[in-house]
Amino acid sequence: MPVFKAPFNGYSVKFSPFYESRLAVATAQNFGILGNGRIHVLELSPGGPGVTESIAFDTADAVYDVCWSESHDSVLIAAIGDGSVKIYDTALPPPSNPIRSFQEHAREVHSVDYNPTRRDSFVTASWDDTVKLWAMDRPASIRTFKEHAYCVYQAVWNPKHGDVFASASGDCTLRIWDVREPGSTMIIPAHDLEILSCDWNKYDDCVLATCSVDKTIKVWDVRSYRAPLAVLNGHGYAVRKVKFSPHRRNLIASCSYDMSVCLWDYMVEDALVGRYDHHTEFAVGIDMSVLVEGLMASTGWDELVYVWQQGMDPRAS
Amino acid sequence: MATPSDFPLSPPDDKSPIPEVVTTPSPTPPTTEAQQASIAQETPKQQDSPPSVFKNSEPLREDQIQNAIKFLSHPRVRGSPVIHRRSFLERKGLTKEEIDEAFRRVPDPSPSSQPTVSTQDGQKAVSNVQPQGQVQAMQPAPVVMVPPPSLLSRFRWYHAALAVGVLAASGAGTAVFVKKSLIPRIKSWVRRIMLEEETDPLKKADAKPSLAEEAVAAAKAASAAASDVARVSQEMMITKSEERKYFEDLTRLLGVQVQEMKSLSNNIRNLEGNYNNLPKVYSADQEVYGGGLVKTSAERRSYANGSNIDYDTRSARSASPPPAPPADSSMPPHPKSYMDIMSMIQRGEKPSNIREINDMPPNPNQQLSNPRIAPKTKPWDYGQAPQEENANGPWWQPKNPRSMDFGYETTASRSIGIQNETNTMEPAALPRQRSWVPPQPPPVVMAEAAEAIRRPKPQAKIDQEAAASDDQSGVSDELQKITKFSETGGDGSGNLQITEIQEEREQQQFSQEGN
Repeated sequence: MPVFKAPFNGYSVKFSPFYESRLAVATAQNFGILGNGRIHVLELSPGGPGVTESIAFDTADAVYDVCWSESHDSVLIAAIGDGSVKIYDTALPPPSNPIRSFQEHAREVHSVDYNPTRRDSFVTASWDDTVKLWAMDRPASIRTFKEHAYCVYQAVWNPKHGDVFASASGDCTLRIWDVREPGSTMIIPAHDLEILSCDWNKYDDCVLATCSVDKTIKVWDVRSYRAPLAVLNGHGYAVRKVKFSPHRRNLIASCSYDMSVCLWDYMVEDALVGRYDHHTEFAVGIDMSVLVEGLMASTGWDELVYVWQQGMDPRAS
Repeated sequence: MATPSDFPLSPPDDKSPIPEVVTTPSPTPPTTEAQQASIAQETPKQQDSPPSVFKNSEPLREDQIQNAIKFLSHPRVRGSPVIHRRSFLERKGLTKEEIDEAFRRVPDPSPSSQPTVSTQDGQKAVSNVQPQGQVQAMQPAPVVMVPPPSLLSRFRWYHAALAVGVLAASGAGTAVFVKKSLIPRIKSWVRRIMLEEETDPLKKADAKPSLAEEAVAAAKAASAAASDVARVSQEMMITKSEERKYFEDLTRLLGVQVQEMKSLSNNIRNLEGNYNNLPKVYSADQEVYGGGLVKTSAERRSYANGSNIDYDTRSARSASPPPAPPADSSMPPHPKSYMDIMSMIQRGEKPSNIREINDMPPNPNQQLSNPRIAPKTKPWDYGQAPQEENANGPWWQPKNPRSMDFGYETTASRSIGIQNETNTMEPAALPRQRSWVPPQPPPVVMAEAAEAIRRPKPQAKIDQEAAASDDQSGVSDELQKITKFSETGGDGSGNLQITEIQEEREQQQFSQEGN
């Protein structure tokens, strides 16, 4: 399985929604504490297993997250540690990039997510306790959602309802928002410790998963939000990111500070269905391809990016 | 406002939105009135159904509101910022409406909560003024009984200074007065006695009564003076002791403040420096290595403080450090170089590998390049099977499309997984068909596969079964029906106990190959 060695510590990896063999990686120097950042666009070589870099963009500060546009196949959006949100066009050479830079957040921008249904807007979550809504063609944010009491670590769009998104924050609450409403529409105190990530079930628009510093992943149904549908234990340290499979209703992938990537089926009694220990440092980024069923990618602070098919060993060559 | 004549004359374009409305029962051409009514019904329905799932539709819970009111009325909570109070209540599971109701009911004189109060109408403002008056009336009473430390200290400061001044003035005044009055009195008394002694032999006889009188008078004066002196000195002692008490109290308060500040600075130093020994700030058990995450934030901010980086328009480093959560002994082991970098930054050094990069857009008006591919439909949005290349496609395509082999499987977990997956499948969920697309094996093979899964008795057609069991789909009822069928009349169910072990091994081999 191909491995890509980046010069900096990996933070996030995302498959392109247009090209099966393309993915973007967000990296940061010095573990993201202080230093430059770089965005890599990788291509999986069709001949034999291998991954090559097709283009890379350097940034002055750490890149914490990257996401692909759903409307333009060559555009990606980066969340930067200096509070800016930058738009890159991979069809243009690096000297012409970035094509936009929005400096509105007061603190580090920790995540960015593109709307998969409406395809015209994206949300960014920042450590300044706010979530901002943007459109590609507007010079400034459309809305700012300020309700959380601490850093917002992730904001994710609902895959069926183009106006609804969820945000996970260090104030231990998960909030559901509707962009048509002035404030959040639901507040779920999902964990007792900081919530680091959340993701919607692609096949059930009312179900979402959260993962937290308390080492658990909880699956919630917004229709009965007082208690979770499932609590998934098994990670040894904080769970950094959680992702629902785009192909299977009950499959969840997660990565954690215990350096492992796990697969879960939350409808099953023994929920852990897979575990990969290929990283030698914190595993912080994970993604499952929408175009290719079973294809997964992960990255971590060991500066490596792995791409593999479920069921196979990521380190096998 | 329909007239019967409108009936057949409704224009066709008015009818066009009507077919979408499921609620209109009448099949006859709708009148304008019916159209308006149905449209009126339609729009609320359309607005209600999608977002209603993502809202709290439960009524307000009175017990939660009462708890929130008790919490908010606590004097210590009063002093905390509103955002912290809201966050605490949210973490306890109160909905927004319940929190707002609790805030509305609790009189809150702090200015930061005025926005929530001001959103109410004038009638609410009136009711708030009254509770505020009561609260203010309440406050002097506690001051008298058990004054809060801040009030006491203010009282002490101001009044202590005043008292000291007054006492000093009075002390000086009495001293002067005593000097002026007492000494002349003594002098005059002594002089009088002298004079009396001189004139005594002359006037002894007739001066005796006057002498006695004078003696009495002098004694009286002396006693009065003595009592004066005693009183004054007593007062002075009392005031001196009071002064001393005040001073002692002052110094004690100052000492307490100094200690608090020392402990605060210690805490800050500990939080910044050694995150392995962080004290527990919160009473809840908090384990954080979000330390990997949040610690970096604390460190970034403290670095910003340490090196005096100004808040410029490009960088968003904030000047105020966040409340960094405490760490526990179960902190994940950070890489060694991470610790090196952290310690470097705490010392104020900058890692040497950082370059100056200008990452601003060279052309802020750069147009996006035209998209070359149309957006693709998501797998959860459609019901057909997309193409699936198996062995012919690139290496990243799945060879075994329905493989449940995640590198961690037992037959037990597989069977449970399959059964549960079938249980959770709903007929109405069209997109889920897509996940069950791979070719349906013939029932007979399925039956044997089902049996193989349920009991570890291998069957004749191991290969096909393994494949079928991997790809298997089907409703649980169907499965049971078919297994029953196989049990009654299926073949190959008998003579395989001997070869059980061999074929199990074969099965395992095959499943490994299939990966």
